[in-house]
Amino acid sequence: MQYIIRLKWFIILVLLQALVLNHIHFEQYATPLLYIYFLLKINSGNSRKGLLLWAFFLGLCIDVFSNTPGLNAAASVLTAFCRPWILRLFSLRDTTENFEPGIYQMGFTPFFRYTLTLVLLHAVILNLLDMFSFAKPQILLLKIASDAVITLILILCIDSVRRKK
Amino acid sequence: MRNLINFLLKYNHWFVFVLLEIISLVLLFRFNNYQGSAFFTSANYVAGLVYEASNQVTRYFGLTEVNKDLTARNVELEIEVERLSQALEQYTQDTTGIATLRENALKDYVLYDARVVNNSITHPNNFITIDKGSADGIRPEMGVVCGNGVVGIIYLTGQHHSIVLPILNSKSSISCKIKRTSYFGFLKWDGGSSQYAYVKDMPRHSEFTLGDTIVTSGYSAVFPAGIPVGTVDDMTDSHDGLSYLLKVKLFTDFARLNDVRVLGSFNGTEQAQLEDSIRSVQP
Repeated sequence: MQYIIRLKWFIILVLLQALVLNHIHFEQYATPLLYIYFLLKINSGNSRKGLLLWAFFLGLCIDVFSNTPGLNAAASVLTAFCRPWILRLFSLRDTTENFEPGIYQMGFTPFFRYTLTLVLLHAVILNLLDMFSFAKPQILLLKIASDAVITLILILCIDSVRRKK
Repeated sequence: MRNLINFLLKYNHWFVFVLLEIISLVLLFRFNNYQGSAFFTSANYVAGLVYEASNQVTRYFGLTEVNKDLTARNVELEIEVERLSQALEQYTQDTTGIATLRENALKDYVLYDARVVNNSITHPNNFITIDKGSADGIRPEMGVVCGNGVVGIIYLTGQHHSIVLPILNSKSSISCKIKRTSYFGFLKWDGGSSQYAYVKDMPRHSEFTLGDTIVTSGYSAVFPAGIPVGTVDDMTDSHDGLSYLLKVKLFTDFARLNDVRVLGSFNGTEQAQLEDSIRSVQP
């Protein structure tokens, strides 16, 4: 049952990203990278290998739709790889407990820090791989910052709405 | 030995991580010369179907603008046709002359109508997906134009979809010339605004003024000569100081590209073979 729900979220987020969000370039820079919300929400008790594989296929699906084979996959796998440490760092709970990271389960501030770190990491890797040069550092930094901020806002909004349900 | 096996079992997610990253990066860096397979791009069948379904909905949103453009273009062309046929009548009195002239211009090319189903303009390397593929007769290296001007060149073809390498891609290079004086250079794009590109290698002694029209040169078989590209907006010296660098305002509005035409050339292969044979002779 849990797998079916997860698969449903997977398909919804991939389609949303491919058909709507990839075409948003707010102020020419900011593109929401909402699909990593999927990685943030996987249960903390999930095995690391499983997490990495989900991340790889998620990134690959986004890549197929945006003609960038490997780009999103590489960034997602790295984000998923760092997730367990960052979750342990910011979560106030016992590390052996199995829970779904969220505002309700963790409290607002820990979840905010957890999301901010991972979103920023993802945006840095993605934009570095995409541009593949430091020739225009201001544009690179602006793009990383704007991507991260708009993604963070979207994720916090969605998670607080889901909590109330 | 047992310690080693325990170690490997404990840290096996590290190996999965490294393996997945390697696969991703290989995909990323090999795409640049990945002519053989279009599987991991939107020329693949499933992604093509999804985009086509979404395009069925979204293509209507820009229709008013497109219509306005077409009408303006139509009026412009009608005036042009009127002017040309009048000019021609002064030279030849028989009406068959016009028909022969028109046939000659596009005699070497066959046109395919296609629709844009996916497009991007903000990446350093952009690609466009269209809804015609090898089954419809599209082949790599064919030229793509729209109502206003040049769009790009076919890069990969799938069964029913193709990927276009547009002007807005750092790998794109299209030979073009100044319409008035026929001096030629190469059209390149280096990121930034989707409305401007640069013509490189324009000789120091070439004559032009700001506002001159740039058209394709017809030196490769991809595009016939005289397809409009844009107007000269600004000029500077190139980095080595040996030639001019012209900033060109493109006629094609890539941000709302919808209907395009693919130009298939009959004589293209012969010309390409000849040019390749020369390249292989030179060291």
